[in-house]
Amino acid sequence: METTQLKEKIAANAPSGMKFTLREENETMLRLECSPEALYSLCWACTRAGGVFDSAFISNSGKGAFEVSYVFRVQDADRMVAMCASGKEFFSISHLIPAAIWDERKMQDVTGLKFGRMADSRALIFHPEAGMPDKRPLSQSAIKESEIDKSYPMPGTGAHGEYEIPVGPVHAGIIEPGHFRFHVVGEPILKMETRMFFLHRGIEAFAEGKTFSEAVPLMEQISGDETAANSVAFAQAVESACGMDVPERAKYLRTVLLEMERIYSHLADLGGMATDVGFYGASSRFTLLREEMMRLNKEVSGNRFLRGLIAIGGMSRDIPDDALSTLSNKLKRFLAMLDELQEITLSSSTFLDRAFSTGIVSADIARELALVGPGARASGISCDARVHYPYAAYGKIKVQEALETNGDVLSRFFVKLTEVRNAAAIMLEAMDKMPKGAVLSKDSATASDGKIGFGWAEAPRGSCMFMVEAAKGGKIRRLACRTASFRNWRALEQAVLGNIVPDFPLINKSFNLSYAGCDL
Amino acid sequence: MFGLKSFLAGYTDRISEDSHDPEIRELAKYLKTRSLSPFAQSIHVRMVDGGSPNDVELEEGLTGSPQVDAERFGIHFCASPRHADVLLVTGPITVNMKQGLVKSYNAMAEPRAVVAAGDGACTGAPFSGSYALVGKGTIEEVVPVDVKVPGNPPSPYALILGILKAGAVLEQKSAKLRASKK
Repeated sequence: METTQLKEKIAANAPSGMKFTLREENETMLRLECSPEALYSLCWACTRAGGVFDSAFISNSGKGAFEVSYVFRVQDADRMVAMCASGKEFFSISHLIPAAIWDERKMQDVTGLKFGRMADSRALIFHPEAGMPDKRPLSQSAIKESEIDKSYPMPGTGAHGEYEIPVGPVHAGIIEPGHFRFHVVGEPILKMETRMFFLHRGIEAFAEGKTFSEAVPLMEQISGDETAANSVAFAQAVESACGMDVPERAKYLRTVLLEMERIYSHLADLGGMATDVGFYGASSRFTLLREEMMRLNKEVSGNRFLRGLIAIGGMSRDIPDDALSTLSNKLKRFLAMLDELQEITLSSSTFLDRAFSTGIVSADIARELALVGPGARASGISCDARVHYPYAAYGKIKVQEALETNGDVLSRFFVKLTEVRNAAAIMLEAMDKMPKGAVLSKDSATASDGKIGFGWAEAPRGSCMFMVEAAKGGKIRRLACRTASFRNWRALEQAVLGNIVPDFPLINKSFNLSYAGCDL
Repeated sequence: MFGLKSFLAGYTDRISEDSHDPEIRELAKYLKTRSLSPFAQSIHVRMVDGGSPNDVELEEGLTGSPQVDAERFGIHFCASPRHADVLLVTGPITVNMKQGLVKSYNAMAEPRAVVAAGDGACTGAPFSGSYALVGKGTIEEVVPVDVKVPGNPPSPYALILGILKAGAVLEQKSAKLRASKK
């Protein structure tokens, strides 16, 4: 869709007399600007014009003023549409778009601003009872003792006979920390609330002032099994800001790495679901396949987590053709084993009984919360960034989106299983079409001061979105990152409603969100 | 059942000093010299994630894979720090997770040992200096560390070797404890 067409479409849905201007555009994004008071209406108009809320970013524009951007994915627009406004006072849009509440709480925490009309303004990324930093990452002034609220109420529903089950942050399994508060009467869950951000490492603020290439290893540390996706998305954001051309071979190699990552990450989820229903026969076989894939990763790329390969402008080194042919041979054997494993799992009535109709996320809820990734696709919402917003080599390779309609654990199992197969097919096609040539761009990684770039990738858990604001000398002035886990955690709170407590681990595993990826 | 044998047979790694994997060779060498005390042979481990990007956790999960199979070395991951001999901590340690780690450590019975797993836990890398970390982000800032396992992330075999070494530390601590009670 052309820019003017898009502008007209948004204007047609906006209240009469509302003014907005086109501030900046490039091939990855379009920025519309308006006053802070009009931001609410502009976001509403964008939603009416077919926009789906993606993320919200804030940056410091000096003298106590901030710039807030709400980013939307608009169908057929091929790029992100950001609504931005500068000022000192903002209003929450979470009444219109419930998905935005975590983003807004995060923006409040990093700046110390208070958004007007917030439905929930508890601290999100900071845990005041554990300790606050001297100053907020995007504010210059020190935090006053009076502005710290150490209470964090998690009220129940008030039902007669209701009791609480607190779980975490240290869990019984080998997983990451997060706190879950269940409100139950007997077995069924009436309400569940998550408290995350135990793993908040301040990555966004830590990356500020670093050069682009210094920041790549940091992006690899956002979430272990999304290493390739996050670093590719970040590299693409920088490449867009700097206007760099990436060689074709690097694009294909990135595609191969992204799909390798999807395979081993999904195998962990599939095996985890089998573990959580007590079906260890299948789960140990899934673990077997996963360890084989990790060893294959090391053989092909030199690292079990595919680290150290993605660089700004392409790849830090080439993957030789003979390593790629080993990969394609082993993949074929892997697919045969996967077929056997699917038969084992799906012929078990124990597994089907536990997975079917458990943890349902309806399509309406998925839309309200702007879910991404397998969590949304299991509810029938088409949201695959590889299909709708192609990047790397996905525009030239056939990508089939895996869709299911029930939205339960079994649907998510099927989506992930199909995606593993599709990922193998994509890898084989990419290796077949692999062009020859250089893998690193010769363009310099510098951009003019204040230039902004967006980058995204479809990580195993869903699309992630990076915004990079460049400073002089190829440095980062501001980095903002929205991962799939951050967007999807709240779906878990909805999915468990009405289910019994013992099914919670299974539902949690069917999303398999990353705690570290959410907390940044 | 469906080809159980064909699927699993021959996958478990052989631990020998002529293996092609240097980590397996190192482990084989260590196993020759290891103590035969019960502490060193049956180690219950509780893991606490202090702030790692879930990579070390995934590798810990894979110590239970059919290929590696940590249980054959006597290593068992248990559900509560109250059951554990060894606390396996990943890092860098965040401000928000400090209390969780301290409480887990305090819940353990003596003798106890702590393994810092991964570069983040050992040195705070790569986020050392961030506002959200405790000091430099090393685990030592919060609880005493007995064994360090570097790596980004350490492989399953490196983790197993680290835990076995913690078993030897436990044995010394237990001897000291007995001596002090006499």
